[in-house]
Amino acid sequence: MISGLKPATVELRGLVKRFGKDVYAVDDVDLHIARGELLTLLGPSGCGKTTALRLIAGLERPTAGQILLDDEDVARLPAYLRDVTMVFQSYALFPHMNVFENVAYGLRVARRPKDEIGTRVEEALAMVGLEGLAHRTPSQLSGGQQQRVALARALVIRPRVLLFDEPLSNLDAKLRKRVREDIRELQQRLGITSVYVTHDQEEALAISDRVVVMREGVVEQIGSPHELYTRPASRFVADFIGSANFLPGRYDGQQIDLLGYRWTHEQDVAAGPVTVMVRPEAVEFARDDEPALEATLMSSAYLGAATEYVFDVAGTELFATMSGGGMSAAEKGDRVRLRLKPTAVSLLPPD
Amino acid sequence: MDASSTPNALRPRRPAAGLAVSGAWLPAALAIVGWWALPIGRPNRPFLTLEPDLYAASIGHPLLWLTLFAAVAALALSFLPVPTARRADMVLAVGVVALASVVAWFMISTTPFGMGALLVLAGLVMLLGNALSESGRVQGDAFIASSILFVSLFVLLFILYPLFTVLRSSIYIDGRFDFSVFLRTMQHPLFFMLGNDRSAVDEVALTLRWSLAGLIGFATFALWRRVRWTAVLARAVLGGALGFVLGALIYGNGALPTSLLLVSIVAPTATLLGLAFALLGQRGRLGAVRRSLDVISILPIITPPFVLAFAMIFLLGRRGLVTYNLLDMQSSWIFGIPGVALAQILAFTPIAYLLLRGSLSSLNPALEEAAQTLGAGPWVTLRTITWPLVRPGLAAAFLLSMIESLADFGNPIILGGNRKYMATEVYLSLTGRFNPNEAAVYGAVLLLMVLGAFFLQRWWLGGGSFVTVTGKPTSGALASIPRGLEVGLTVVLFVWTVFVAALYLSIVVGSFAQLWGVNYTFTLRHYQDFFAGAGWEVFLFTARVAAISAVPAMLLGFLVAYLVARQRFFGRRFVEFGSLLSFATPGTVMGVAYIFAFNTGPVLLTASATIIVIALVFRNMPVAIRAAVAGLAQIDPSLEEASTMLRARSLTTMRRVLFPLLINTLVTGLIFAFVTAMTAVSQVIFLVSPGNQFATVLLLGWVDQGQLGRAAAMGTILIVSLLLVIVVVLQLARMLGARMVGVRT
Ligand SMILES: Nc1ncnc2c1ncn2[C@@H]1O[C@H](COP(=O)(O)OP(=O)(O)OP(=O)(O)O)[C@@H](O)[C@H]1O
Ligand SMILES: [Mg+2]
Repeated sequence: MISGLKPATVELRGLVKRFGKDVYAVDDVDLHIARGELLTLLGPSGCGKTTALRLIAGLERPTAGQILLDDEDVARLPAYLRDVTMVFQSYALFPHMNVFENVAYGLRVARRPKDEIGTRVEEALAMVGLEGLAHRTPSQLSGGQQQRVALARALVIRPRVLLFDEPLSNLDAKLRKRVREDIRELQQRLGITSVYVTHDQEEALAISDRVVVMREGVVEQIGSPHELYTRPASRFVADFIGSANFLPGRYDGQQIDLLGYRWTHEQDVAAGPVTVMVRPEAVEFARDDEPALEATLMSSAYLGAATEYVFDVAGTELFATMSGGGMSAAEKGDRVRLRLKPTAVSLLPPD
Repeated sequence: MDASSTPNALRPRRPAAGLAVSGAWLPAALAIVGWWALPIGRPNRPFLTLEPDLYAASIGHPLLWLTLFAAVAALALSFLPVPTARRADMVLAVGVVALASVVAWFMISTTPFGMGALLVLAGLVMLLGNALSESGRVQGDAFIASSILFVSLFVLLFILYPLFTVLRSSIYIDGRFDFSVFLRTMQHPLFFMLGNDRSAVDEVALTLRWSLAGLIGFATFALWRRVRWTAVLARAVLGGALGFVLGALIYGNGALPTSLLLVSIVAPTATLLGLAFALLGQRGRLGAVRRSLDVISILPIITPPFVLAFAMIFLLGRRGLVTYNLLDMQSSWIFGIPGVALAQILAFTPIAYLLLRGSLSSLNPALEEAAQTLGAGPWVTLRTITWPLVRPGLAAAFLLSMIESLADFGNPIILGGNRKYMATEVYLSLTGRFNPNEAAVYGAVLLLMVLGAFFLQRWWLGGGSFVTVTGKPTSGALASIPRGLEVGLTVVLFVWTVFVAALYLSIVVGSFAQLWGVNYTFTLRHYQDFFAGAGWEVFLFTARVAAISAVPAMLLGFLVAYLVARQRFFGRRFVEFGSLLSFATPGTVMGVAYIFAFNTGPVLLTASATIIVIALVFRNMPVAIRAAVAGLAQIDPSLEEASTMLRARSLTTMRRVLFPLLINTLVTGLIFAFVTAMTAVSQVIFLVSPGNQFATVLLLGWVDQGQLGRAAAMGTILIVSLLLVIVVVLQLARMLGARMVGVRT
């Protein structure tokens, strides 16, 4: 266990990073990260996640704005004075040092006494479960082990904030799931403030306290995984996190009207025309006696655990995923009646 | 607890993050110490003489009081308990005042720098570096910021400023603009082409005959091809013009046409030969060919550029082994353009070869295989696939040979005969005709020509910074070259190898022969002369100076490479440009430039070993830069960032991460800086002084005086010792590198 951690809060105020004349990699970002929180920056490639992370790290200098660690502006402070550290996508383990030396690096740089270095490195290696491997070189480790060395190396210097830049993208799919759980477990156990960059929405939802969805340098939405999924603030977010159908409808403050199919819905949206966001798993076949949405079955694909359908709803395609067989009797071209689970539906401003 | 909720009085003095004390305090203190040492001047060279007059002058001057005041203020501000960035802004402000005032004082007083001045300047630059970094104005720490300042300063002072003085001296004479020297030089038969009254023939008439021949030839060809009469006319004019230019190049005795003619012979030949050898080495079927190419590629590195010219006198001169002893002719054809061209082709082909080998080896064999599966034979493949792909490499090799040929000093001075050459005229007008302004004119014209070629090359190749055309050898079977071509090329290579071997051998033999061409009996006389006379001492002095210059050249080269490749800062292009300039500038031009720049004023350096060292450092820095850039390209930048994230400063990162990983590259860079320093001649020849004699310059002098035996002894010793150094040290570096990186083989 790493002792003596003093996690900090992080606040970004009007942060801007411009490359060259007109590339705004980060464009006026405001963000507050609580002590001990794991916040994920999520977004498509090139949206500025890495740049934002590197700004917090001090590896890039902001064009404008403030970066506050525990209310103190560090935006102009060089990286090595910031008490912030980072786990790199490539792990960046020093190839000419063995595992012990890699982990000890930060302590040696800080000129800690030898026996302190010894015990702290042991501690850190034990924490990530690599006790026996201290004398291997990085090239003799598997990807997952390298990743854990990188983590131990970052934690051993007791940073106030820990940054991750797509730490799992070099691992194969199965390992990725396990390592992300390990990271989350360790992060919660240590209570260390963390910022985590990924473009994998599933990963983001699985490990974060809160997720920031970014788009072209701007924050689209901030919220808990649940909020983002159930109440996306924009089409972009709805599309990026999970998949979604968008149908035109009306809202009167209490009920949604979707082509005559009406149900009660509570959301802070102005009455009038709206875009109804429907998750694929919200769609079910309706019983004959209940109100329903009229649709035509266009195609279906049986995937074992679930079946995927494409319906035509008044000229708009509607994708649906139903667990099990759904109503296997329906055939292509049949008229069907559909019901929407209210929990997986949300309203967006009209197009 | 929230820091903002703490009452002001209870706030800790030290900000929670940042530095308690600005790192600027130490350089500020250094500058203050230097200020007290300012009176230690050195009008008469030794660094540590105290000059009472200077003392009075310096302490009394208001500008210097301002310097002291500002430096003390910076020192005091460094301890102010305010946030790091705000404090750094204040330090920055007073630091700029201090530096500006002391530089202004140096300009006004024109007192040569002494120890104190160096301390003050170094201190203030580091102070600014600290302040720039801590204020967040420069990404990177104090070391990076200071390095950027120092490197920019060096580029300005030791590369751009000297070149500027050359341009200035060509048109700015006795304190005013004066084009008379420029015009006179241009009109002088030494410079240009035609109408030389001193020569027996009428060059104008001869040239016009060439022009007429061109006109008739082109017109006839056009008529034969049955094109329209306007086209015939156009081609006739073109032919006439081409004929005129060619005639002017051949008959113009002046330096400019001679150098141009030389270039037009040497550059294509060296490039084609380089290509031929590269093709052979890459795709030839004979192992022996490849081994001989390996040797050929290392020879020019260890050989002073003019040694082959000197060996040619042994073989082909008036008393040459081949020409006189074997063929029994008494010809001096090698003294003139043919000899110089031959010597330059011998010297520059290996360079073209190295460049083209790189660009050939980066070809993807799959492309050629694809062509062959589509039914293209070897010739077709060569023409349609290989040739277009190596064309950029060829352009690079061509322009580089052009630059080398224009800038070459040693070969023309030995074999030049009675023709004039641009690079040697720079030297001769300064040391022979004692006309610095004329030297400046030659220098300026040569500089502009070379820079033109150089930037043409960069533009052509898309301006990749420092990137030489090299590539990883790709696996896969390369298409073999056509059998007939291979045989032909192998014969060329064989003749070449025999000739070069004979040249080298003749130097060794010549050093043991009584009197070349007359008496070939064995003797150790030349070596005895060498060791008893000045030779050995000069050799040792040269080795020492070269070694001293190699370390800063390598470190500086590494630093520049690191800054340019890994940092983003204002002025990066400037640093890059300046370093490239020092690489492209002909040595003779840089030589006069140093004379002009450092003969008087605050930076008085001439007639010292220091100026030779400095000249060699900046001349060889580009070699180290390229080695370091290539090395850095192999290292993932996130390794350095990881080190930064573990709170290492950049100097620590260099020491603990980059140096161990790059040890091989660094040692190689060091060795090449040393070897190029030992074989340098064109720039150094301006800078030697009694007591500071350089081996290559001495050797050249001996050749000039006809003491060929002694010169051969020096040449042999130089070549053998450099070969030893390269082989031994590179082997060591390989072992060391393997150990540091923990490669188990
Ligand atoms: N050093 C740089 N110079 C110029 N532009 C840059 C630089 N670094 C990033 N950019 C640009 O800034 C934008 C954001 O880049 P960034 O690396 O932050 O994206 P990202 O969200 O991390 O993407 P990815 O998921 O692909 O890693 C991109 O348009 C990128 O091209
Ligand atoms: Mg990224």
